[in-house]
Amino acid sequence: MVNPVLLIAVPLGLAFALPLFGLISKRIVKYIPVVAFIFNFALALRLIPDVLKQAIVVEIGGFPPPFGINLVAGPVGVLFSALIALAGLLVAVYALAYITEGPKEKYHMLYLLLLAGATGVVLTGDIFNLFVFFEILCISSYALVAYIGDRAGIESAIKYLIQGAVGSSFLLIGIGLLYGLFGTLNMADLAQQIESASSISVFVPMVLIITGLGVEAAIFPLNAWLPDAHSSAPSSISAILSGIAIEVGLYAVVRVLFTIFGATNMFMFFAFLGVLTLLIGEMCAFAQNNIKRMLAYSSIGQMGLIVFAMAIATSYALTGGLFQLVSHTLGKGLLFLTAGYMIYRSGSMEISAFEGMGKRMPLTSLAFTIGAFSLVGLPPFVGFPSKFLIVRAALAKEEILFTVLIGLVLLGTVIEGAYFFRVVQVLYFKKANGNSERKDAPVAGLIPMVVFVAFILVMGIYPQLVIEVLNSAASELLHRMEYIRSVLG
Amino acid sequence: MGISNAFDFLQNHVYYIGSFGLIFIGLFIMLVKHNLIKVIIGLSILETGVNLFLVSVGYISKGTAPIFSKSAMEAAPMVDPVPQALVLTAIVIGVAVLALALSLAIRLYHHYGVLDLRRIKELRW
Repeated sequence: MVNPVLLIAVPLGLAFALPLFGLISKRIVKYIPVVAFIFNFALALRLIPDVLKQAIVVEIGGFPPPFGINLVAGPVGVLFSALIALAGLLVAVYALAYITEGPKEKYHMLYLLLLAGATGVVLTGDIFNLFVFFEILCISSYALVAYIGDRAGIESAIKYLIQGAVGSSFLLIGIGLLYGLFGTLNMADLAQQIESASSISVFVPMVLIITGLGVEAAIFPLNAWLPDAHSSAPSSISAILSGIAIEVGLYAVVRVLFTIFGATNMFMFFAFLGVLTLLIGEMCAFAQNNIKRMLAYSSIGQMGLIVFAMAIATSYALTGGLFQLVSHTLGKGLLFLTAGYMIYRSGSMEISAFEGMGKRMPLTSLAFTIGAFSLVGLPPFVGFPSKFLIVRAALAKEEILFTVLIGLVLLGTVIEGAYFFRVVQVLYFKKANGNSERKDAPVAGLIPMVVFVAFILVMGIYPQLVIEVLNSAASELLHRMEYIRSVLG
Repeated sequence: MGISNAFDFLQNHVYYIGSFGLIFIGLFIMLVKHNLIKVIIGLSILETGVNLFLVSVGYISKGTAPIFSKSAMEAAPMVDPVPQALVLTAIVIGVAVLALALSLAIRLYHHYGVLDLRRIKELRW
């Protein structure tokens, strides 16, 4: 059996070995992330059949779970690591041609660290270990947002850093309180003991931890950093921040809420918060003229939708929410990658500068259109089955409140459709003024776009390919007793 | 009676009071000050408070260091070693964040010539 710890160890080790490879040859450095994530993706796929039968628990240093740090490669962990590896691989291929300026070695090193941190967060079974991996993710993303080094990049990086650091401090206070209450840091052990404490003494650490993680998960009102950071970073990093970093933050929130605290009485609040986040994100996105800010606000909206789906807390809803996570990673990753080259060719982030792009960059524009349609939720793209599952789960609840909330969600989707169709209209139905030379993105940029499009189409037409993994991931989140049993035995 | 109770409370919880005092001072500085360097100092005070809080979670009054030594052979109480390991990690992370924040502040100063956050606002909601 393959050891899931390699999913973290390989990118982490290669990140620190990367400067040494740089001593041998400057040109091979950029291929190292590609190699690392090919390995990770293959390993994660290889683990899926085993994990569906039983979660793999890795004891680090040979200490049995409540005492030592352990990794839990359950369906959720492996699903997320496969997603991280896939997006990481495609964006690393994209970066081969896209990142041409600046300290390239540091870019690739931080990129590997960011994704190693993300994989660590989704696999760990120890809450302090989760904090450490979370900080690896956050610190490398602060640095990568500032990679270009222009005014906007530095300014948004420092905003992101200050908000993120306060969030991490809250998370750490919450972890300290939990340790003071229970004397353990193991998530399964905490989950087992949480009922023995009075609800008010558990409530304070829960609020602190959710607030701390919510900053990275971009839950309203903690998301002020996101539009600046996502729009000022290089496009390849925007794709990873939108497609992976906030998803991992959301994973941590969901894991803490469902598994550790089992906080069923909080779900109504999170349903409202999710819908609020969705509506605010979509309305702000509608008002934007800058393409990357529009996509960033749209990410906030999508996070709201996923929070809402998770808060319904039925097995359909969780499957739908996780599916929406996958479809958001694929769709938003594709949109940021295509937008990157459209910005590069037109020299501006304004949507109006993309007039006539449908003729100038036909393949890139087509990929953008497919990504936009998928996020809005049109069939036959992957956004359709995921949104459909969420709507169905909300209606199956048969409560008037959820029917009203899902109505608001659909209103948000309409707004989403409006601003995405506006961009598609600019791409295809406006005459280009001035430069109309036909030149598409380079091959290294087109390959990841094509692969993203292929995934979006295949999963949209055959959702049953992934539904089994999503179902068992949903049941891992929903049944905390099974999680406790699989870790503690 | 009342005074001595209050005094006992203070004596037993002095580390918690001190650590949350530092946390609130740090948050206050970050919210009120406009100079970026002062905000970063506030962040540093906040992190110090959190670290002190973590250590005091595992502290036993008159406890000894949790290492294998002569005093550990006796029945004297040892403090909990886990929070100390956590604090070491948290300090290292804090140093990394502060170093990155200060280096970004230097770059920001190169671009704008000021560190006043009220005058650095190119990006808006």
